Amino acid sequence: MPSAAAARLAAPALLTVAALATMGPARAHDFWIEPSTFHPAAGTTVTIGLRAGQNFVGDPVPRFERGIERFVVRQDGSEQPVVGIENVDPAGFLQARGGSTAVIAYASTGAPIELPAAQFEDYLRQVGLEPIIELRARRGERAKPGRERFYRYAKALLTGERTSAAVTQPVGLAYEIVPDTDPTDPAAPQNILRGRVLYANKPLAGALVEAYLYSDPSVHFATRSDAGGAFAFALPRAGIWLVKSVHMARASIFSSADWESFWASLTFELPAARPPPGAQDPR
Amino acid sequence: MKRLLLVALLLLPGAARGHEIGTTQVRLAMQRDGTWSALITTGPQALANKLEVKTRQPRSSDLDAAALRARLEQLIDPLAEEIDVRFDGAASPARAAIDTLELPPDITLPSFVVLRATGAIPPQAHTVTWRYRLAYATYSLTFTASDQGSPLTLWLEGDAATEPLSVAVSATPPTRLEIVWQYLQLGFLHIIPEGLDHILFVLGIFLLTTKLRPILIQVTAFTVAHSITLGLTMYGIVSLSPRIVEPMISLSIVYVAVENIVTATLTPWRPALVFAFGLLHGMGFADVLRELGLPRNEFIPALVSFNVGIELAQLTVIAAAYLSVAMWWRDKPWYRARIVIPGSALIAAIGLLWTVQRIAGF
Repeated sequence: MPSAAAARLAAPALLTVAALATMGPARAHDFWIEPSTFHPAAGTTVTIGLRAGQNFVGDPVPRFERGIERFVVRQDGSEQPVVGIENVDPAGFLQARGGSTAVIAYASTGAPIELPAAQFEDYLRQVGLEPIIELRARRGERAKPGRERFYRYAKALLTGERTSAAVTQPVGLAYEIVPDTDPTDPAAPQNILRGRVLYANKPLAGALVEAYLYSDPSVHFATRSDAGGAFAFALPRAGIWLVKSVHMARASIFSSADWESFWASLTFELPAARPPPGAQDPR
Repeated sequence: MKRLLLVALLLLPGAARGHEIGTTQVRLAMQRDGTWSALITTGPQALANKLEVKTRQPRSSDLDAAALRARLEQLIDPLAEEIDVRFDGAASPARAAIDTLELPPDITLPSFVVLRATGAIPPQAHTVTWRYRLAYATYSLTFTASDQGSPLTLWLEGDAATEPLSVAVSATPPTRLEIVWQYLQLGFLHIIPEGLDHILFVLGIFLLTTKLRPILIQVTAFTVAHSITLGLTMYGIVSLSPRIVEPMISLSIVYVAVENIVTATLTPWRPALVFAFGLLHGMGFADVLRELGLPRNEFIPALVSFNVGIELAQLTVIAAAYLSVAMWWRDKPWYRARIVIPGSALIAAIGLLWTVQRIAGF
């Protein structure tokens, strides 16, 4: 469904912002999964680290059971919980089967945060949520502190011996980045990552989606999802990538916060591109 | 008041309402020999990666203990630059060294590095601030002043700096009695003078009648109810958005005031309604108390004394109303026409205005 939209997006998206990562004062912290390896051999133990930080540089976050809504791995057609030790980093570990690409998913129970008005708006700008600034202005709330409840929805892909259709299916997170094809597939076109952002299982238009390269976080791309929630990136280098997006919605009247923010991330290792069939090895 | 709030926040990790708590811990101590020292415990690989990105070097990974130690030693100067200790606003350059590095072969076990940073305390320095620019998640800082008194624990959000701390004198943790007294004052002050809406509600209860028994029944119902929801809300058992609670509190004021105009007797349903309204007011009190924070190790004494402070303030409102109005004119034939009805009408109008404002404001 999104492939046509993504294809339309592809050309301009390839030219999207490639800027030096800014180490600015804003305090919007991303959240992602950092396993001990992205390509585990069958039967090996993989530790699953959680990270909070900026520009793909962050602090380890220990396991905190009360803060976990869901922490699972889908591999070879089944889903198991990711186990771990309370208050310890790495937050979890699992036994890799190594068959098809494994999908690790983490969802937090949400936590409150309150920021002074100016700081709240800085952070909204930083994560591309300018419409919320406008909404606050229309509601006469610009001078009010930002009271929100933030939820983390992180996914990671562990490369297996073969690709998995599970990668292209939502795992059911409230806000989720879903690739159109398995990006760990060495046979897939390597220079473009296409996917969708889904909020409440529906495509979300206009969301800022960003990508960072682990080995050099100054390599940074950004684009916005189209009407079908589709986005596309040119990822020029093999390596570990973080794709992330933040969405915000008005909290329900039963919430003690005014806003709810949803932080989606996807980490994976993009393999080196295979030479096209018939191409000669330059060596 | 500011000191009280600070103490409350310092004692309560839950009050650090920010991002996730990470694995970093810092112990900062002022020494009597004119130096300061900081022990920073943190994740070693993440630390190396942060410094590698900062110095634009390739990120390392999968290093063994010896290689990781060597890597961190190479990066020790850039690391020291990220430790920002200031005395009376002037920076005190830090020297850093690796104290301990634990990297268990079993990757499921936690690894950590302990860094020792030191620097000089300028003569006559009064205050010190701490900032560690390599932190993203929330972490704890334990501070010991040069008098070697009780350490103070602060929760810092990422690379935020502390408020100025006294170099020489430890912040003495408050005793239970001090906490009780402080929260009693907070509870009282939340009603008088800060809680005009609660004052009007209590006046609404008072204006119904000059007889003691109906007033006592209502005040008791209100007190029991708000005590229940204050406790349950603070323990996280019940929760209702201020967007609902605050307009409902205003509406409760309108109701009691309008009923005062309609009737001068205690209707059978009035205590039940006052009880229900009390449940809402208790949630409103809890919102305030949550913002103030409750010390974890003195949770119940602080909660109870805050509630007692509220009760004392309510009784003060009723006593003041009685002494200034009812005691003199309650037997006058015009008491109801000239005091109760105009007073209640004014209270109802204010309550209605607040209701509209609170609904529109939310």
